[in-house]
Amino acid sequence: MKLLLVEDDQEAAAYLKHALEEAGHAVEHADEGREGLLAAASNPFDVIILDRMLPEMDGLAILRTIRAARVRTPVLLLTALDGIDDRVEGLDAGADDYLVKPFAFVELLARINALARRPPPQEVVTALQVGDLRVDLLKRSVTRASVRIDLQPREFQLLEFLMRHAGRVVTRTMLLEGIWNFNFEPQTNIVETHMSRLRAKIDRGHPRELIHTVRGSGYMMHEPA
Amino acid sequence: MLGGSTSFRLAALYTAGFSIAVAVLGLIAMLSTRGALIQEFDSRLRADQVPVIDGWNQSGLRGLLREMGEASAGPGALMYGVQAENGAPIQGPLANLRAPNGVSTVLGTIDGKPESLRVLTVDLGGRYRLLSGDKAGPIEALSRKVLGGFGLAFAGLLVIGIVAGFALSRAVQKRLDAISDAAEAIIDGDLGRRIPVRRGDDDLSRLAATINRMLDRIGGLMDSLRQVTSDVAHDLRTPLNRLRQRLERSARQAEDPAHRAEIEGALRDVDAILVTFAALLRISEVEAGARRAAFRPIDLQALVRTVAEDFAPAAEDTDHRLEFQPGPPAWIEGDAELLTQMTVNLVENALRHTPKGCTVRLSTSVEPGAASLVVVDNGPGVTEAERGRLFDRFYRLERSRSTPGSGLGLAMVQAVARLHRGEARLSDGMPGLKAKVVFPVTS
Repeated sequence: MKLLLVEDDQEAAAYLKHALEEAGHAVEHADEGREGLLAAASNPFDVIILDRMLPEMDGLAILRTIRAARVRTPVLLLTALDGIDDRVEGLDAGADDYLVKPFAFVELLARINALARRPPPQEVVTALQVGDLRVDLLKRSVTRASVRIDLQPREFQLLEFLMRHAGRVVTRTMLLEGIWNFNFEPQTNIVETHMSRLRAKIDRGHPRELIHTVRGSGYMMHEPA
Repeated sequence: MLGGSTSFRLAALYTAGFSIAVAVLGLIAMLSTRGALIQEFDSRLRADQVPVIDGWNQSGLRGLLREMGEASAGPGALMYGVQAENGAPIQGPLANLRAPNGVSTVLGTIDGKPESLRVLTVDLGGRYRLLSGDKAGPIEALSRKVLGGFGLAFAGLLVIGIVAGFALSRAVQKRLDAISDAAEAIIDGDLGRRIPVRRGDDDLSRLAATINRMLDRIGGLMDSLRQVTSDVAHDLRTPLNRLRQRLERSARQAEDPAHRAEIEGALRDVDAILVTFAALLRISEVEAGARRAAFRPIDLQALVRTVAEDFAPAAEDTDHRLEFQPGPPAWIEGDAELLTQMTVNLVENALRHTPKGCTVRLSTSVEPGAASLVVVDNGPGVTEAERGRLFDRFYRLERSRSTPGSGLGLAMVQAVARLHRGEARLSDGMPGLKAKVVFPVTS
């Protein structure tokens, strides 16, 4: 994937660039706002990773400018501010996702992957399928190998989220934000408890698992190889 | 409504005071006018009697009667009368009058009509009595006229005072309302609001300008506080970011699994610091109160039910029971995200600090003018002395020191409650701990 990283902290940028390249991405780095703006407007990128606090030109100003120029590349905003209003402001300016510094690299990687292969917004999906697991979003019914599975509303949401991100890592924080709307860290493992119940219903009794734990990162749904 | 208006009360008080002054002044004017008239009348009585008494001195009763006849002739003359020492009338219209010696006011009959008369009675050698006098009516009429004039002024003053008091208090009230409206808007989070200042340099305009200056100053302080907070956030997060990245990189490169586990432990410590840091910043943000502007109607009952459902499986996993008692919808004005975090904190607090097998009950209720949330457990409870301190930041019970937690959960609960103009209280749950958050509801 082709990524643009706009970040003024040289050391942090060097680490991220190196780690992202190790993960198989091509990274262009801009350490200053104007340069980032130019790069964003002139080259196609799959995802732009934009630091919010930059010297000279503020990250939000860049974001507004490129959105005004109809550049629709997904933007992941990195920020040291995590006030509720800061988040709302960032999303209002046109960011697709928001990550508060410091973050785990796997979190960044998972979010980049989630942003890059998003289906176009106008496409309406009514059914999802992974292996022999089928979810009908209209009837809200779930079957695996043609056997009906009953899920609680939260379990259904969790499954839908995993299936929409099939083949990609979904982190605990992404689930907390995407399903529970929690922008804070609860002290209870509600993701784990719901996930273990979902897995028991989806994978128990089947020779091949569909929901996988990715050590140190989160979860991934994919077809058995 | 007007009773509660300071300016109306002042105007009423002023009018009452002024009216009493006018009434007293009227009474004094009437009395002194009457006194002066009587004094003048009395000296005329004495002066006019002089030639008549001279007549008596020169030629006895005959001379007296002659002079009396002359004196009572002509316009504006006094009336006279002579009577014997025993009161038998001798001559003159006042001869029938009973009056003590000297000047007196007595009732008599003149031309068949009863009249109040002012009379000077003089004893002549112990044999006769001479009376001279006139109707006292004109004096009383003039006094009444003076009093009437003042009465009219009194009534006019009262009417003008009341009307002016109303007008004045309404004008002042309007300006005071503008100040209090602006203050309410600022309390509700519209920190940019200022009191409208009218042209002209009166006391209220000066007060408004002073309050606005004070608000500018508070706004400046809040801005710099926010700036400091965000600087601290930035200046702490940047090195923490590097620290985390270095640790991450080392963990990746570590060959020795024990070494790697050590570094991953350090990463967890960094993340724990970050959680506490984020919680502290969040509490400050909530306490600043700026989020009220984003309030909208929220059904507290539905929100609490969702939290109960989401946390029930986790409660089960630690051998707790989490129960929700359904109730009617409880609508309040608020911030859904913060109210959810508040409820989560209360639930987590109850689950973490009660032993296995305990039950945590969640419920909401609606009372007139208020909606409330109750979280009650049947654990060991907390002593009254400690309950008071549980809302303090970083306060932790002695027996909870070993359980994980930042000591910020309940501080956040109170901050969110107060942001919503509510109050969180802890009480004895008999046997456990009962937390109740009451929110005011304006209909």
